[in-house]
Amino acid sequence: MSDSNSDSNSEPSFFTKHEFAIRRLHSLTGIVPLGLYMCVHLTTNASLLGSVEIFQRAVFLIHSPGPLLPLIEWGGIFLPLLFHAGLGIWIAKTGRSNSSQYQFTSNKRYTWQRWTGFIALVYLFLHVMHLHGGIHAEGWMNAIYKVGFGQFSPYNAGSSLVDAMNLGYGIIWPAIYLVGVLACVYHFINGLWTAGITWGLWISPQAQARATKVCVALGVVLTVISLAAWAGAVFPSKDDVAKMRAIEDRMYEAGVVSGTVLENEHKRDLRGRAAAEESVDASDGEQASTGTTEPAS
Amino acid sequence: MIALDPAANRPQFINVRVKRQDGPGQEPYWQLFKIDYEPELNVISVLQRIAALSKTSDGKKVTPVVWDCGCLEEVCGACTMQINGRVRQSCSALVDQLLKDNADEIVLEPMSKFPVLRDLMVDRRRLFKALEKVKAWVPVDSYYNMGPGERQLRATQEQNYPLSQCMSCGCCVDACPQYNKIELERKKDETEEEFKKREEKAWDKAFVGPHAISQAMLFNNHPTGKSIAGERLDALTAPGGIQACGNAQNCVAVCPKEIPLTTSIARAGRATTIHTIKKWFEK
Repeated sequence: MSDSNSDSNSEPSFFTKHEFAIRRLHSLTGIVPLGLYMCVHLTTNASLLGSVEIFQRAVFLIHSPGPLLPLIEWGGIFLPLLFHAGLGIWIAKTGRSNSSQYQFTSNKRYTWQRWTGFIALVYLFLHVMHLHGGIHAEGWMNAIYKVGFGQFSPYNAGSSLVDAMNLGYGIIWPAIYLVGVLACVYHFINGLWTAGITWGLWISPQAQARATKVCVALGVVLTVISLAAWAGAVFPSKDDVAKMRAIEDRMYEAGVVSGTVLENEHKRDLRGRAAAEESVDASDGEQASTGTTEPAS
Repeated sequence: MIALDPAANRPQFINVRVKRQDGPGQEPYWQLFKIDYEPELNVISVLQRIAALSKTSDGKKVTPVVWDCGCLEEVCGACTMQINGRVRQSCSALVDQLLKDNADEIVLEPMSKFPVLRDLMVDRRRLFKALEKVKAWVPVDSYYNMGPGERQLRATQEQNYPLSQCMSCGCCVDACPQYNKIELERKKDETEEEFKKREEKAWDKAFVGPHAISQAMLFNNHPTGKSIAGERLDALTAPGGIQACGNAQNCVAVCPKEIPLTTSIARAGRATTIHTIKKWFEK
């Protein structure tokens, strides 16, 4: 029975057997939760252009689950993202792009979808490390903070964000974020359009043309929002940061008193503040020595 | 057209660059041929001139270029090849049009996704095996007269007719970035049958291609053909099924019959979605 032998040898793997369902899950996770999350995330960040208060209030709301937040982050964002990215790399490897031979717009979109996927993966890793830190163990966070990662302090959201963007001469991170965010927006919008084919939502060429219009409009709106989010984090100056921090501190203290903000000193920007105060102290000290008679303490 | 325009400068010669290959698995190489210009040639007649000449542009005597053709009116698909980098039928590729786009030369290559047998002739069996996989037929094997078939609505007819024009030429799969070439070599200790089995297994696991998806939709929309609609959808969700589609939409762009393949794929996407969910709850 050599036939049955060779059959049992090449028994399809779990992945091969369930490839259809797994790839549908890949398509789904790209939209919910990942795409939807990205829309909420970018809109929240764009609110920093409105005022420090609006942004900080949104971050307080996001952090209101307190100890449950890591569970939400990992279950709703990081794990779906890792799944989507891992399978995405595999999918990209199953194809051979030929958009230089067949220069149709949709074929170029196919190739860009793969490239923006790779860019998004690298960018999101950097982004999570740069601001979030990944795992919120104190030793880890302190260690990576020293090399410029894990910079975000949710209870000083605006100020720590602006400070973090200013690392690296204030040009490297803004450049990375601009490219990365736009790649993510393209990947999401184009993925949304192709998901309509995958799931059979828009079938006729007319329906597909309408879907294209809707997706382009959505893409334009999302691009504007993402540029607003980017500008809100990149443009404030050093002086603005101090003002922002004062507002955030006032909101934190008032929030703790009123019970709307969970008390948590780890989520405040104590490290950044210490550094800022040191430099302020130093300049104050200089002024003191040259100007007033106050004794230096 | 250059041919009908007496004022236009007619070229004296036509340069034809052909990608040749002496046999399966061998290294391809290029040869340049130079034939006298004649008005209103198609690529088939160019290949006939080259065969008659059997001489490269530098005068070297060579074996005639091998190609495949059948109907000569773009309904059989046998003469499909890459002409100036684009997959199409050579019978309907008019030389005067080609020279308008590129006056210097015409470049002929075999299809890129099928094993080359020789020169421009390829082995397209995998293409037809995919049609078997999705059962692209109407099941009417019966001893008994089943009576007249169900009447088809005009709307259904109009939906089906374009899909029925598919001639299985393979342009769609040749341009598809998700459809990769499978070329196996027979092992020394393998019988012909064992090799064929191994080959079919490899094809079965790989992407079926847009043509098969479209044909599955055609027969699922047929009053008698739809009796095995579920089996076709099972085939489309099996390994190598519709999930391998990457939505590059080259298929619909290169299809010589202008079959709405993206529409078929989207229809199959919806049908497989519903079919899979139904099956999951009925298990």
